[in-house]
Amino acid sequence: MSADADPGDGDASDTSTGGAPLVEVEDAHTYYGESHVLEGVSLSVREGENVALIGRNGVGKTTTLRTILQLTPPRRGTVRVKGADVTGMATHEVARRGVGWIPEDRRMFAELTVEENLTVSVRESERTAAELERAFETFPALREHRSRKAGNLSGGQQQMLAIARGLVGDNDVLLVDEPSEGLAPLIVETVADVLRDISQNDDVSLLLVEQNFPLAVDLADRFYLIDHGQVVESGPTEGLTSDDERIARYLGA
Amino acid sequence: MTGANYAAGHAMQAAPLASAVEILLDFLDPGTIIQVLINGLAKSSVFVMIAVGLTLVFGLMGVLNFAHGSLTMIGAYLGGALVLFAVSPSMGDFTRLGAFFVVVVAVLALLTALGAALEISLIRPLYDRPPLYQILLTFGLTLVFDEIVRIVLEIYDIQPTTKWQAPLNTRPSFMGQESQRTLDWLFGVRVDGMQVFEIVFGFVVVVGIWLFLTRTRYGLYIRAGSEDTEMTEALGIDVGQAFTVVFGLGVGLAGVAGALLMWDPIRGGASVPLGADVLLPAFVVVIVGGLGTYRGTVVAALIVGMTDATMTWLFDNHVEFAGLPELVVFLILVIVLIVKPQGLFGVKEVGGH
Repeated sequence: MSADADPGDGDASDTSTGGAPLVEVEDAHTYYGESHVLEGVSLSVREGENVALIGRNGVGKTTTLRTILQLTPPRRGTVRVKGADVTGMATHEVARRGVGWIPEDRRMFAELTVEENLTVSVRESERTAAELERAFETFPALREHRSRKAGNLSGGQQQMLAIARGLVGDNDVLLVDEPSEGLAPLIVETVADVLRDISQNDDVSLLLVEQNFPLAVDLADRFYLIDHGQVVESGPTEGLTSDDERIARYLGA
Repeated sequence: MTGANYAAGHAMQAAPLASAVEILLDFLDPGTIIQVLINGLAKSSVFVMIAVGLTLVFGLMGVLNFAHGSLTMIGAYLGGALVLFAVSPSMGDFTRLGAFFVVVVAVLALLTALGAALEISLIRPLYDRPPLYQILLTFGLTLVFDEIVRIVLEIYDIQPTTKWQAPLNTRPSFMGQESQRTLDWLFGVRVDGMQVFEIVFGFVVVVGIWLFLTRTRYGLYIRAGSEDTEMTEALGIDVGQAFTVVFGLGVGLAGVAGALLMWDPIRGGASVPLGADVLLPAFVVVIVGGLGTYRGTVVAALIVGMTDATMTWLFDNHVEFAGLPELVVFLILVIVLIVKPQGLFGVKEVGGH
């Protein structure tokens, strides 16, 4: 992969490490009102790989995830999920194609119990009991608190619940936004273990937005570096450090 | 009677404390308390019936439906017309009651369909606009509905501003004015069949909706959507469809409340001004309870109903002029807005969507 790939026109397939494409974004231009946030982002996530989006605050990482889910549909460009064009589709239809969202701030249903939070996410109601059991096996702490309101959980527990909610949706790809944000270092470790575990054992690919650079590199096989609404660098994360001049130029304060 | 009033007024001037004690003792008489409790429960049932659709709609989609009162009024006329059609003079009491429930189901179905059509055609295009647009639209609908009803009533030669008497004859005898009984075994409390009916009806509706919200999957989606629409949508739930269902049901429930009031000339009775008459207390209940919270609405309906009944008793028995009990209901609203602006059980600010 050449270090000076044409910004904004990054064709990802050449560096892909995985199998069939799960999510493909092609030249997406997304606006909030009149403000042009994504200026032609292209990327892909394939089966069996984890991908990190890195970059400073406010460069369009969260917007990229929102664009994929059609929460903020792109004005130009295409989003494909497992090969099918989903641009302009309703968000719930995109989600039902196997795309899970673990948003910034977790966005628990605070008034619902842990169990109800998970149940909302189970797509086939006959499978509710089985899916909940699977989630509780991965997150034993949640079983203990299954009847508690999600709003009464600690930050770490809420993050676990947010991940579990993505897991029981039987998704192929999880869009994970800042999972370590606001958590104590020890809890971050646990969250990282869980994400690694589900991506290896549950056949789920991660598209990860993460400010914690070592964590992002550790979890992901490939990265896209985003700046001013464009992909400016991409490639494998192997051996990548924040001292790398390609990275430091954009992440440095 | 005049003498007693004069004496009470005189006592109040002479020794306000003694007079307050006297009123309190009078109120604490078991007969009085139970009477106020029963009157209050009947009022609460009516309030909760009117307010519940409003609160479900606001809770899920953040829309304050100003047309809610007019839809209750339409439900009252529709219920009246249907019950006149369904009940013949030769029918027995229980057949009449059965016919009423068939009418209630028909009103619920027709107005739910109307509500769903309104949501799809008129409300849906406005979700992304500021709340003012929805308020103007639903307020405009009120004017349109009221005028349409006036035109229809004109055709049938029915007075739009006075309470429509015709459907009252379809009530079973145990619900009419003559059904009032003085219960000697219960400290001489006076109850009429309509009050008992309203209390039972309100209870069944409150429990029914609660079961729907807490025990069904669709109810779970509605509670999730009420907390965070976007997140619910991102979990694969068609929240847009839930909007249509809930707005439809909200309008349907407004209609059912109307059908209930159509039979009760004291607390309602079908007339065009009924719409405005029920909208204000409904807003009071919904705001006091905390906009969009179901539990809050039920509790607030009880508070407002009980207060209303207590004040009505006070003004009827110890104050020389009537007509102020309603004022106290609005006083509750003012106090709640100042002390706890988000309402008793509210978590979010108005317009926080």
